[in-house]
Amino acid sequence: MRRFSFFDSPVVRVSFPTWRARLVLLVFGLAFLVLLGRAVYLQSVNREFLQEQGGKRFERTLPLSATRGKIVDRQGVVLAASIPARAVWAIPEDTKSATAQQWGKLSELLDMPEATIKAMLADDSKTFVYLRRQLSLALVEQVAALRMPGVHSLPETRRFYPEGEVAGTVVGFTNLDDLGQEGIELTFNDRLSGKPGSRRVIKDRLGQVIEDVRAVNLPVNGQDIELSIDTRIQYLVYRTLAEAVEFNQAQSASGVVVDVQTGEILALVNFPTFDPNDRSTLRGVNLRNRVLTDTFEPGSILKPFTMGLAMALGRINGNTKIDTGRGEVVFHGERIRDVTKNGVLDPMGIMVKSSNIGMARISQRLEAQEMWTQFTALGFGQPPVIGFPGAAAGRLRPWERWRPIEQATMAYGYGLSTSLLQVAKAYTAFARDGDMVNLTLIKRKDQPATIPVYDAAIAQTIRDMLEASAGPEGAKLAQVQGYRVAGKSGTARKIINREYSQTFYRSSFVGFGPVSNPRIVVAVSVDEPMAGHYYGGRVAAPVFATVVGRTLRMMGVEPDAPFNSEVVAQTQPESRSRP
Amino acid sequence: MGRTVFVTAILLMLAAMSLVTARYQSRQLFIENEQLVSQFNELDVDWRKLQLDRAELSRNARIDQIARDTLKMQPIAPARTIYVREAPAPTAGGG
Repeated sequence: MRRFSFFDSPVVRVSFPTWRARLVLLVFGLAFLVLLGRAVYLQSVNREFLQEQGGKRFERTLPLSATRGKIVDRQGVVLAASIPARAVWAIPEDTKSATAQQWGKLSELLDMPEATIKAMLADDSKTFVYLRRQLSLALVEQVAALRMPGVHSLPETRRFYPEGEVAGTVVGFTNLDDLGQEGIELTFNDRLSGKPGSRRVIKDRLGQVIEDVRAVNLPVNGQDIELSIDTRIQYLVYRTLAEAVEFNQAQSASGVVVDVQTGEILALVNFPTFDPNDRSTLRGVNLRNRVLTDTFEPGSILKPFTMGLAMALGRINGNTKIDTGRGEVVFHGERIRDVTKNGVLDPMGIMVKSSNIGMARISQRLEAQEMWTQFTALGFGQPPVIGFPGAAAGRLRPWERWRPIEQATMAYGYGLSTSLLQVAKAYTAFARDGDMVNLTLIKRKDQPATIPVYDAAIAQTIRDMLEASAGPEGAKLAQVQGYRVAGKSGTARKIINREYSQTFYRSSFVGFGPVSNPRIVVAVSVDEPMAGHYYGGRVAAPVFATVVGRTLRMMGVEPDAPFNSEVVAQTQPESRSRP
Repeated sequence: MGRTVFVTAILLMLAAMSLVTARYQSRQLFIENEQLVSQFNELDVDWRKLQLDRAELSRNARIDQIARDTLKMQPIAPARTIYVREAPAPTAGGG
């Protein structure tokens, strides 16, 4: 066989028509053109759509949750803080393939009967069912380890209240979605919440984050709130009130402690109350912040304000003699009674004996408008501005519509209503040389605003009367070892079915100490004491005494009253007396 | 001409290689960053928990109960207190 080199091959020598080569070239050229056109179309015309679709397949936006701020007391003790938790949820249909063992384990871990869980997941049409919320991370890890089909978890936060029911009234609580529902949590919800952030990321097949697509939008954590409350005093008041409620078989009790110099509320307590950690205690009656929302006829604790007004206007002075008769007079057709027969009294005597008749007689020397103006200046009838939900205004009717008997009863605290906090605020006028201080629940960093109500001299006179009222002649149970205290007891009959009840009372005591340089105002009110005694001087005064004594000691205030010391230091004299 | 093409091709190869390395390193660093961030979060959570634990242990109600029941302590009263003054007072005792 003859061998040819490639170019000499007779096959190659066969010539084809030129158009065939051209045709092939043209077809290939066209094919490339189509490809090019398609590429241009995808790259430019259809680009946005494609990028969007691509992004949908591997880009994810991750929410970055902001942590809710803490609530701390004036010493920095944590009263409320959030920590991460997880919620376990399920897709009913997917759980059908779970094994019996997995079900058993799940019910054990979630601490719920298996039947309950199955009942929750009975409806297959649902695609999302919460099984249990606010579980600890460790527990949810165990749930995840079950690898049970259709059971998943979601991050969320859980709020803890270490002081529980002691501070519950003030702090309030949040709902499951971390929104404030009561108290400070509600009032300052915006400041506490913070702003959630987000990040756009690319995730791989396993769901792991590969890279950030754009700059991370960082979350802004909620601000912390520093309260004016001192947890130690708060606890002291709580404990004292709890004991008083039990001892007096009372319905409830409330108390408030105010710093005279700054107007800060150091303690604000109701009993019974709720524990924000235990949702079963969050029931209607317990939720009420009685110090702020409950208004009542204050009774005798209002007498010093009328007395101060009459003295300021010069209608009476320290020596004015007022006949209170035999303890019972008919006044504009109504009977006014005193507890005892007192005869002729001076203003000091009226205050110490707490004579209603004496006050009614003093009110005759005053105009209704003058009394109304004074009461309004003291803040009665207006809601106190302390940034707390539901602070009640109380009731003070316009003076034009007062009947003469009402003017008389108002002089001793009937016919108008106030909250305990309003009374405590008004008493700062006597504790502070006549100017009333604005109250706050947030720790003060600047000087408080004050409203002048009485002259310093009048405030001083009333202070002396209040000290006598809390002295041996008056409510002697209010006396505190080592400290001079001033205050006024009040016993108000409750209105049941539009009539003054003979069995239901509200016993209160409001006062301050130490008298030489007042530091705190304490207001205490015990509702419906049923253990036999109901006079404010008997029921509320001991609570006042305990609270004042221990609080002043805690604040490191030096005693200003003489007392016998049981301990003797060698360099110290045995008994102490004022210089 | 041929030399220029050759050099450019080498340069192109180098650039491509360095791009791949840079991408790889960036991934590595990103992962490391992610790990550190999550570690930071874990520590932050631990810190919060410890703070709450401390608050729980120093709860007034708990301390009060231990002081009264276990340690049999009593509240302080002025009668059982000696008041010491920093600066010597001109009058003895005083109050």
